[in-house]
Amino acid sequence: MLPEPFRDLEPLAPHWSLGRESDRMEQRLASTMAEITEFYDAIMPRMDAILAHLNEHPLDAMPDDARRLLWLTLSLAEIAPAVHFYGQPSVINGFDARQFRPVDVPHFTPPGEPAATPPSSRHDKP
Amino acid sequence: MDAAAGRKRWAAAYPELGTDPIPIEPYISPAYFALECANIFRRVWLNVGREEEIPHAGDHFVKEIAAAQSSVLVVRGGDGAIRAFHNMCAHRGNKVVWQDRGQCERFACTFHGWSYGLDGQLLHVPDEDQFHDLRKHELGLTPVAAALWEGFIFINLDPQPQQSLAAYLGDLGERLKGWPFAQKTACFAYRAEARCNWKVAVNAFQESYHVPFVHQRSLPDSAAGQGNPLAHPLAIILFPLHQTISIYGNPHTRLNPVDELVVRHGHSYRKRVVSQGDLPPGLNPTRQTNWGFDIDVFFPNFFMLIFGIGVYFTYNFWPVAVDRTVYEVRMYNPPPQNAGQRFALEYNRSIQKSGLTEDLATLENTQSVLASGAKKHLILQDNEIAIRHHYKVVDGLVRAPDGFGRTA
Repeated sequence: MLPEPFRDLEPLAPHWSLGRESDRMEQRLASTMAEITEFYDAIMPRMDAILAHLNEHPLDAMPDDARRLLWLTLSLAEIAPAVHFYGQPSVINGFDARQFRPVDVPHFTPPGEPAATPPSSRHDKP
Repeated sequence: MDAAAGRKRWAAAYPELGTDPIPIEPYISPAYFALECANIFRRVWLNVGREEEIPHAGDHFVKEIAAAQSSVLVVRGGDGAIRAFHNMCAHRGNKVVWQDRGQCERFACTFHGWSYGLDGQLLHVPDEDQFHDLRKHELGLTPVAAALWEGFIFINLDPQPQQSLAAYLGDLGERLKGWPFAQKTACFAYRAEARCNWKVAVNAFQESYHVPFVHQRSLPDSAAGQGNPLAHPLAIILFPLHQTISIYGNPHTRLNPVDELVVRHGHSYRKRVVSQGDLPPGLNPTRQTNWGFDIDVFFPNFFMLIFGIGVYFTYNFWPVAVDRTVYEVRMYNPPPQNAGQRFALEYNRSIQKSGLTEDLATLENTQSVLASGAKKHLILQDNEIAIRHHYKVVDGLVRAPDGFGRTA
């Protein structure tokens, strides 16, 4: 569950609380604009309160419920260009997003995060 | 503008480059590509990563350098030194290391179990008695020259490099020394393979003329603004091989609600704070207040973009074939200290990746028609002079009988 003050956002979590950038991107690309806008409208007015709440915890030692909430905010960052730049999930006139892929660089991951790509896909090449 | 000579600003500053259109042939010719590989990519210093990626003895990674038909193994030795070797077994040529990265005490070839130390020495040959006059001490991994600059690892596939790395980087290397690269330990990295010539990819990032057009939705007013509507660069410095292109930063960008949220909680590209005092001389070289970032082009294929807000990007462009290029991007940031900064970082990553996705689309669309024969030349305006300079350097080396450093 999400932390108590934000438990009403729980219905969004199964779709948008994702630890990996590649999963957040896939969710953005697989969603309709209506779904993206619904998520944006629900979380955006709460963001200052959410970040104030999360700032109480060190990034590399967050309780699980707080971490799920942090991941939810990272999905807002992922979909913000869809809302404010493009009006569609993908980049207009863009390169295929699935062919421009996150790569892990050891010892350079932000604190407390899983690698950007799941282990099984690290060695496949296009 | 040099009115007397009728020349525009950069053409007047670098008259030796001329103002002619540049030919399309070098972007589509397999023969030209073969000469680029032989005369440039097998001869010059190439960036392959940062030293923090391999902090401990035995940490290693492999870089495939298709332009030199080589696989290069980069490893931290027991003595702490970083070395590079051809990733090729002395026995029957198999690649010794098949994974992109790893950690080990010795390298064992998967084919017949020959094993090598972290210093490249051949340590063990199974069934050694069955070989004829085996000289193990002569059969280590073939070394590749490796050197560090400000924590960046460079390799050189020339068995006898014509210059040291420091000499090769020259004035550009000196002028950027001292920026705190090592403190930017939160990195987002991406990789794409694009169906284009490597110079089509390089050229797309050597000018800001495209910004108000290609990035009209994502970054419409970052490098352009009321005082500079067509994103003219602040400065262009052309070294013998390398380049610095200093890019304007609009202080009055329009902020959307997420931008405003980010500004409240962390760094934003849209609201820049430029600190002048502690920059090395090569950064923001003309000391402008409305400075966004610099593009430093390390010939032939390595870019560094250092931003006024204290983050930097690198691009590596790897030729695979005359019309295929691997594009690697890294966005290096200071590590976030709390969730607000982490969110800001993710947003910055997201908008910059949007911009790069827009850039990448132009590459394949360009390459797909370059060989049509409809046009024989590309027309460059004055603010695209870095493309002309890169072309001239490449062309000079392609025409040199034995490539970089052999005829000068």
